[in-house]
Amino acid sequence: MTDVLLLARTHVLTAIRERVTLFWFLIFPIFLLAILSFVFGQLGQEGEISFEVSLVNLDRGAAGSFSEMIESVFDDLAQSGEEGKEPLFQLRRPTSEEDAGAFLDSETLAVRRGRRAALVVIPEGLGRRIETELVTIGPSHGAASSDEAALQIYYSEGNASSDMAVAIIDQVLAGIDREILARTGRFDPQAAIPSSTTWVGSTSEETRYVDFLLPGIVLMGLFTNALFGIPGAILFARDQRVLRRYWVTPLSVPRFLGGLGLGHVALSALQIAILVVFGRYALGATVRFASPTALLLLLLAIATFMAFGFLVASVSKTGTSSMAIANILNMPMMFLSGLFFPITGLPAFIRAIVYANPISYLADGLRASVGVGTPLFSTGLAVGVPLAWIALSAGVAVWRLRWDVGR
Amino acid sequence: MSDALLRVTDLVKHYGDVRAVDGVSFSAADAAVFTLLGPNGAGKTTTLEILEGIRDPDSGTIEIFGRRLRRVDRATKQRIGVLLQEGSFEPYLRAREVIRLFASFFRSSRSVDEILDRVALTDKASAFVKNLSGGQKQRLAIGAALVNNPDLVFLDEPTTGLDPQARRNVWSVVADLKATGVAIVMTTHYMEEAEALSDHVCIMDYGRLIAEGPPRELSARLGQETIVEFTADGIGEDDLAPLATCCKAARLEADLVSVETEDLVPTMESLLAWSKDRGIRLANMTVRQPNLEDVFLSLTGRRLRE
Repeated sequence: MTDVLLLARTHVLTAIRERVTLFWFLIFPIFLLAILSFVFGQLGQEGEISFEVSLVNLDRGAAGSFSEMIESVFDDLAQSGEEGKEPLFQLRRPTSEEDAGAFLDSETLAVRRGRRAALVVIPEGLGRRIETELVTIGPSHGAASSDEAALQIYYSEGNASSDMAVAIIDQVLAGIDREILARTGRFDPQAAIPSSTTWVGSTSEETRYVDFLLPGIVLMGLFTNALFGIPGAILFARDQRVLRRYWVTPLSVPRFLGGLGLGHVALSALQIAILVVFGRYALGATVRFASPTALLLLLLAIATFMAFGFLVASVSKTGTSSMAIANILNMPMMFLSGLFFPITGLPAFIRAIVYANPISYLADGLRASVGVGTPLFSTGLAVGVPLAWIALSAGVAVWRLRWDVGR
Repeated sequence: MSDALLRVTDLVKHYGDVRAVDGVSFSAADAAVFTLLGPNGAGKTTTLEILEGIRDPDSGTIEIFGRRLRRVDRATKQRIGVLLQEGSFEPYLRAREVIRLFASFFRSSRSVDEILDRVALTDKASAFVKNLSGGQKQRLAIGAALVNNPDLVFLDEPTTGLDPQARRNVWSVVADLKATGVAIVMTTHYMEEAEALSDHVCIMDYGRLIAEGPPRELSARLGQETIVEFTADGIGEDDLAPLATCCKAARLEADLVSVETEDLVPTMESLLAWSKDRGIRLANMTVRQPNLEDVFLSLTGRRLRE
């Protein structure tokens, strides 16, 4: 067993003692994580004058009710006031055939992810409650449970545009209050439309992007590490006759592979740990990889990428040509996988590449498992496609990979 | 030689149409240095690589430690040590780490410190492989070949490419090894090396074994010859003609003249007369006994390093 452990140690040591490897292995992913989160994390916060707000009116009472009036006020604010000027709100409403409940769910999620500044819900019975409490004096009148109905505002704390939108909505509601009172000829400074605000997420705009990005960067790091590291470790060692020195001892290829695999998993674990710690403490990421599903997916990712490394090693003549092949594969495979941006809405021929790319499934599955994003693919696909790649690569490696030169 | 540590019979190995090893047979014994001597491409390394388990022979039999093998197996590898002609270590490992790693491949092994001491690398134990000199790398490789305390050691061209000092260091490691009772099978194309270290030499050429025996015995086969060598400027084959009467053979290579004789005194007298006669200055004259180089020359008509 010592031989396998010492070979693993050898793989780890040679990787971290060589500066070039260390750069691609650690510094580059950290650098990319920092750059991308700083650049894209700030987007949508500067010079924003228009807020995307969703509005759902569940109070389908008589025409001319107060609920309808509130709705129309928001409608007005969503119209462009002056020429060339953006309206204050970009209002999203459920379409007539859309189920209000489903719309509510998806929009709540959108607020949490920062795609909407706020969600305003007019509950059933709000109109009547306003009528009884604000217009007809005294709360004693109405006794129905619908009297508890209050305008609900969902927002995301720490998200600048969400905070601003809520402040604006408060102003709008105050305006509506005054309008109602003026209309009914009463003025009670205490009276106000009953409303409640609900906080739907703990992530700010910046950390939200970092949370989306971090699983992608982790996968990128693992992929690059395996794509270059595995063929490098095998082919350069083979070409320089480092391996031949091993083969004249009782060491077997399976034990060598055991050591290489173990060393690679250890390196990958180190890489994940450093990226997650950096993401969390330097960039404020909150995603947690500690769930069994996430850990299993990370293991699957390490295995898939390692297999991919073996595939590259198998089809390369020399260590140098394996680096060229890895370079050719690296960028397209990373960018056509949804690591850095969503893969929906790409042209069909590119989508074909995306769907053949195991990283797409791993990225999708990992993001879902850490709670950023709903999965696009079924669990069967998320696990099956990478497993198919592992099987294919193993087959090609057994068939083509040569463990010594000139034999 | 029924108790031979290593016996090879009718070994054949082809590379395409080339018969790299063409029916070689020999056997090697305990506590002795057995050397395959020959020019590059003679089939020495291929023969050794078959014995090391790197290559399979096309035909022929191998017997190691009294066991007949189709190819060298793991059990045999536990008891042999191998220094490859071409081979390297991970450049970012330290010398100590290399020895420790190799020790882990065997069931039993010597301590790392003992090995480093034996190849005189104790003070380089913490150095990265990439920072070692050529000679130090070679000694590290020998150390790696000795971790399992082998009964039989293969050294393929152990000093090729080393400077004279480094070469002597390797020679002393080999001499120490032999003193501890280990059998050594090595290859070289350096005649001096074969002469200095070997108990038994096999001369190989074009995949065949053309002569074998203890170095002195091989040289003695040339008879009671003495060789006189000197350099002379502007000399041609025609100038050598008169020498035919006074010696067994005279050869010219570039400006080096070698004269073989069985009767030195008359030959020397004739040479001096010849030199005076033709106005040829005899520079760098040496008189010596024949060596393995001369044996090879007399067998093949070529020099080892051609």
